[in-house]
Amino acid sequence: MEHNQLVCEDARVLANEGVGPRLFVVSLESPRIAARLQPGQFVHLQVPGMPDHILRRPFSVFDCDPQAGTLDILYQDLGYGSHRMTDLCAGDVASQIGPVGHGWQAPTGTERALLIGGGVGAAPLFLHAKALLAAGVAVDVVLGAATKAALATYDAYTALLGHAPVVATDDGSFGFSGFCTQPAADLLAAHAYDHVACCGPEPLMRIVAQMAADAQVECQVSMERRMACGVGACLSCVVDTTDGKRRACVDGPVFESSKVVW
Amino acid sequence: MAQVNMAVNLGGLRMKNPVTVASGTFGAGQEYNDFVPVDELGAVTTKGVSLHGWEGNASPRIAETPSGMLNSIGLQNPGVQVMKDDYLAWLAPHDVPVIVNVSGHSMQEYVDVIEALDDDDRVDAYEVNISCPNVDAGGMTFGTHAPSVEKVVGACRAATNKPMIVKLSPNVTDIAEIARAAEASGADAISLINTLLGMAIDAKRRKPVLARVVGGLSGPAVKPVALRMVWEVHKAVKVPLLGMGGIVTGTDAVEFMLAGATAVAVGTANFMNPTATHDVIEGIRRYCDDQGVTDVNELIGGLQC
Repeated sequence: MEHNQLVCEDARVLANEGVGPRLFVVSLESPRIAARLQPGQFVHLQVPGMPDHILRRPFSVFDCDPQAGTLDILYQDLGYGSHRMTDLCAGDVASQIGPVGHGWQAPTGTERALLIGGGVGAAPLFLHAKALLAAGVAVDVVLGAATKAALATYDAYTALLGHAPVVATDDGSFGFSGFCTQPAADLLAAHAYDHVACCGPEPLMRIVAQMAADAQVECQVSMERRMACGVGACLSCVVDTTDGKRRACVDGPVFESSKVVW
Repeated sequence: MAQVNMAVNLGGLRMKNPVTVASGTFGAGQEYNDFVPVDELGAVTTKGVSLHGWEGNASPRIAETPSGMLNSIGLQNPGVQVMKDDYLAWLAPHDVPVIVNVSGHSMQEYVDVIEALDDDDRVDAYEVNISCPNVDAGGMTFGTHAPSVEKVVGACRAATNKPMIVKLSPNVTDIAEIARAAEASGADAISLINTLLGMAIDAKRRKPVLARVVGGLSGPAVKPVALRMVWEVHKAVKVPLLGMGGIVTGTDAVEFMLAGATAVAVGTANFMNPTATHDVIEGIRRYCDDQGVTDVNELIGGLQC
């Protein structure tokens, strides 16, 4: 496998805005990472202003403009680090390592793909959708969220696809009422797919992996683990696979779902 | 400005500067080579290797704690053959001494690992890990009791003439006694400290954060404990010491040398800052320049108290 050159770069915050309940998008100027980031890769970011919290945090990249040298991260205010992230202001600087990991790679000859994003898991699929569309692949997107207000990527996907994505909300406030697995199953039954990609809570990915296996469609999932080094050295973030324990950071985060031991 | 002599001799292992890495935090150097060319290091210390490899512990394997972290990786490693075919092969063209960290579930396994590596001239020294807190057999169980330290270190000594460093656990009542046992059994150098046994609890879920419940604490939080133990061991033995525990800056490293360390290892700081090893080397050099120190060896045990 070709060596994925990593850089450690001081990224400048361009904006950091709320986009939903406890949901934020931070835009960063990070030209060396943005220039080479592939869909599904992530950055390992040191949140400034919390020196007694020593570890970096992995964040998947929502959108990226290699020409402008910028990237956007959609994140949820969930723990100490992500809460401190919400304090970032334009002009602040955060060190980040990137572009880390093995991203999405649809099988050669893919004509139609189904992308399923649960919660903030919608974010790392966006660049994948962009790349697939640019390659002439037909792309169906299913987004799941707790509520309509939490569908932070809805407008971006609508603009990208030229039509609205299929939506499910847990509370029925928008789209299908219930989990996004149902509309995903309906689409899988209705169309012949060559590739499924899913990111979201692990139970969602497990169910989607099973549905894809039943439909005999190739499927990839993006796994999340507690991470220390983010470069493949410390073996903190391993995922159980049919090839043994593999590192989420550099062997993943995207894995063939058939190889994940759920 | 006079050029500072940075070279040290760690029990027969010649290092161009006093900085290596703590085993398990740096792979065998490959993963960090984009940030710090491995040749810059005084030595590279590999992740612990067992004879046929271990799968390691269940996830979650780490927890962040105040100014530190807990890990319970459990010495996941692919075994001696992969060490030779992949890691040592990658290291071979690089101009850096290689310390292989040796792990075993039994006394015989430590010896078997050394015997499997000993005719390989890409291995410059061993670090015998009798201090990992994250395995049920071997590791710390050998390193917390002087008679078993003597047995395993003695058996390893009989298996090699290469420099042999013995890595000690801080989870003991009297670290000086353990250090003396290692020295008496043939250790050429002593490294310390491995991680401190600890745990983290998720109060909301009423569950331990780590799958294995307990793990090893590292990072800046442990530095005062590590300094104290290096100082105690420095007073107790004559062999040189490889000091580690929370080193982030060149000044941290100098503190360990003043406490008695001949060389130092950068561990958890690699996770915080991928150029930490480079920064520590430059920080030591800068300290020497500022203090008019022409030979870094002058710092060893230079604490005035």
